[in-house]
This record gives sequence, structure tokens and C-alpha cells, in this order.
Amino acid sequence: MIVMGVESSCDETSVALVKDGKTVLSNAVLSQIDIHREYGGVVPEIASREHVKGISLVFDQAVKRAGIAFSDIDLIAVTAGPGLIGSLLIGVAAAKVIAMNFDIPIIGIHHIAGHIYANNIEHDLEFPCLALVVSGGHTQLIVMKGHYDFQIIGETADDAVGEAYDKIARVLGLPYPGGPLVDKKAALGKDLYKLPRPLIDSGDFQFSFSGLKSHVINLHHNMVQRQEPFAVEDICASFQEAVTDVLVKKTKEAAHRYAVKQVIVAGGVAANKGLRAKMTREITDVPVYFPGMAYCTDNAAMIAVAGYFKFQKTGKADDYAINGDSRLELK
Amino acid sequence: MPGSSKILLIDTATEYVFLSLVIDGIEVGSAYRKDIQNHAVTVMPLLDGILKEAGIRLNQVTEVIVGVGPGSYTGVRIGVSIAKMIGYLNGIPVRTVSTLALLASGAEDGFILPAIDARRGNAFMACYRKESGKLTVLVPDTLANAESFIGTAGPGFHKVTEGKPDVRTLINSGLTLPVSNIHELVPNYLQVTEAERNKGKS
Ligand SMILES: [Zn+2]
Repeated sequence: MIVMGVESSCDETSVALVKDGKTVLSNAVLSQIDIHREYGGVVPEIASREHVKGISLVFDQAVKRAGIAFSDIDLIAVTAGPGLIGSLLIGVAAAKVIAMNFDIPIIGIHHIAGHIYANNIEHDLEFPCLALVVSGGHTQLIVMKGHYDFQIIGETADDAVGEAYDKIARVLGLPYPGGPLVDKKAALGKDLYKLPRPLIDSGDFQFSFSGLKSHVINLHHNMVQRQEPFAVEDICASFQEAVTDVLVKKTKEAAHRYAVKQVIVAGGVAANKGLRAKMTREITDVPVYFPGMAYCTDNAAMIAVAGYFKFQKTGKADDYAINGDSRLELK
Repeated sequence: MPGSSKILLIDTATEYVFLSLVIDGIEVGSAYRKDIQNHAVTVMPLLDGILKEAGIRLNQVTEVIVGVGPGSYTGVRIGVSIAKMIGYLNGIPVRTVSTLALLASGAEDGFILPAIDARRGNAFMACYRKESGKLTVLVPDTLANAESFIGTAGPGFHKVTEGKPDVRTLINSGLTLPVSNIHELVPNYLQVTEAERNKGKS
């Protein structure tokens, strides 16, 4: 079964073709990072304009690279939310045109389900499975007892991990998107500052990162005020150690509590090298998997994989009234 | 009827969704509907209905004419994305037209001032003349203060803010323009984004 994935929830326009929820035939991505960098973050109106500009071209790239025709496609899976509404609607509209033009069933996919299913490209999901979802918009622990069955057991009360990374990067004067740069600098620094590990002993799976973020921002501000010498690398390292300590400890506890067969990490922060290393080092009794680097950030291949399994499970397509929903819930 | 002309018109840049299917010069189906939900939800089901009623499939359309604004940004992007995809998938010609020309096409003969609200006292406006079904543009599409633009145009102009476009007038006018490279089709926003405007200032 060949599934076409379509993703336009934020600042990447992406179309992919994936066979049987596993083999990526193509994964075309038009990234807008260079455009938004000038503004220090994603500007929604500019993102929407860029999606319209690139929408037909990215479909063309995806089918040509896969060497298939539109008529070979069995299912279209499109990100229906959450995300920027103006961005989502472009992908949804384009996907509907293909569905109607070639009479192919269409199915709406939750963006986070996509991030989770990015893991299936390299390692088959095995259940029960624990997913740590870490991105610019989400920090969640999700237990899956089977395909397309999501139980959120904990999430952040305030900032998402990726959001905290980006804000700290901005304060430290690192260009957008700053998260990956904080990771890079952290590798060169030392964990010098005794930063709090929020909720680390709470016994549940809730997170909170806004206090830690403010702590780092104040620490930096005070050192600048006092003209104290410091290395940005050490601030990054201290922040990263605090964050990953919390993420890893809670993930490990949840893995035991729910007796899972595997732990998977999903979302943009799954690309964080510090997190990858600590997860693998600390969680040794169950396998820990990460998506390949190309499938950590937003891409349509992951949406196609999720679409394949959702369709296998429900056997039901959506109709042409399918809408984009900026606050869609994971179900 | 192989070889016949099947033109699909789409405009979603106003509060209304406008769709029309013209087969060999005759409008065989159309929709002009004020949307309670967003256009993204309504356009495709409406289009599906029109095509089914006419007994053709989307991939049998031979040409698309799309309203490219000016107007609601979110709205116009939906129609343009749809037109772009239909044109690309089927390798058929796509022509663009101003949403204001579409508005003017449906008005009575005379001097017409189509206007779409752009908030803060501004509007997207233009001046057209329609005479025995022939539509010509006098002042091209502009984003301006509504009061002063209307004042400058003078009392002879009849302001139009809604009304179903007249496809025969539109198709016969010289106001539709061919798209040479479908991948380059974008809406006519008439202004850069606020972020781009502010960038120069700081
Ligand atoms: Zn994402």
C-alpha cells in the first residue's frame, strides 16, 4: 500500500511517499528556516505565503523522486493539526484536490502521531510502548497499547522543552532556530551551575520547564550585570543536563510502571545529541529508539506512516469536509 | 463530449465561496455562498456537488480561472492552492483574475467601485466600467483608505461589496491572465506582511 503524506503545520512544506508504513520512497521538504531566521522565529503570515508558493512544486518533487504516478497512490494522509491554522489549511486543501482528482481516500492525521510513527521507519513499534514526545510545542509521555492507541500519562504544565531551548538560545544571542545550537554548545561546556531539576521527584509524569528557563535567564542576566566572566557553553551544558536529567528519569520510571517493551523518542528535540546519549546510557533494560535525524524535524514521511496505521486500524477515510484544526487533540 | 471546453472558476478571497462550471460557454453549475465555517471546509464538498451534478470528474476540467485577490489572505490562499493543484495535476491552463473584477462583473452596467474591507478604515478597491456586458478596468486594484479613495473616484461610481460574479462577462473580458508557470502562481496580496514592513524600521 502506497501512502502519500502531506505536512504543512508550521514552516516546512513536505510531501512524502511511503510503502506499507515503512519504506520511504521519497520525502520532499521545502524548509523556510532561512526566511524565518531573520525574524528570530516563525512568522505565521509569511509561513502561509511560503506554503502556497511551494505547494505544487513539493508534490512534483515527491512523485518524481519516488518514480511513481499519482494514480499509484492508495491513500493520502494529511496533517490536520495541531499547528498554525493558515499553514495547515494549505496542505489540507491541496491533499483534498488530489483525493478528488484521482478518487483516492484521504485521512487526517495528528501531527504528534506523525512524530511518534517516525520511529517505525527504522524499528517496528512493539507494544506496550512508551513514547517521549519532545518538540517546540509538546512535552508528553504517551503509552501505546497497540497501533494508533494513545494514552497521555504526563505532560508539561507550561513551556514545552523545545520552546525553553529556543527562548534560552535567544537570550544567549544564538540565531533561530536556537535549540540545536544549545545542544551543540552544551557538548563543549561543563555543568557548572547548580540548576534546579523541576518536578524530578514528583513521583508522577508531569513536567514544568518555565521555572528552569527563568532561572537560566536570570543567571545570565546577573552575570552580565556584574560583568562576571562566563562561557555560554557552560550555561548551555548546565541547562541541558538539568532538562535531560528530568526527561530521562521520568521516562525510565514510566517505562517500568507500564512494563513497556520499548521506549521511543519523538519530535524535534529527539535530534538532541545530549538527550540521545543520556537516554541510551540510563535506560538499559528496554530498547530505546530514536527516529533517523531526517525524520526528527517536521516531515511528511512520518505523516504517511501514521496514516497507514490509522487506516489499517479504523478502515475509515475522511470526507472532503476535513478541516485543519490548530488545537486538534491526539486520539 | 470530448474536446469540449470545461472551465472551472474559483474565488475564495471574500466572505463568499464562489464556484462556477462553464461547459462550452454555458454555466451548468455554480455556488455563491457566504461561509459560516472557513472556506477550507466548504469549497471541496461544494465543488464535488457541482461536478457530480454536471456528470464530470475533476480531472476532465480543461481550464481553471481563479480569483487571486486582493482580499482575505487566508481565504484567497485556499482558492489559489486548489487552482494551483488542479492545474498542476492535470497539466491544464490556469488563468488568474482579480477578485475585484469578479465582484464588478456581477454588478449592473455603469461605473463600478468594488470594495473588500481590509480593516482599520482601509479597503481593497478598484474602478471598473461595465457597458452592455463589457467590463474594463479604469483604476487598478489598490489598498487604500476607503473614504478618501471613494471621495476621489467621485459620486458617479457605484460601490459594490458583494454579489455573484457574472461568468460570461468575466470570460469575455480581457481581464483574465494566463499563468505561464503553475509552480509560480501566488495570490495578489497587494502588501507585504507586517513583519516585513517592521523589519526595515528597527
Ligand atoms: Zn513537529
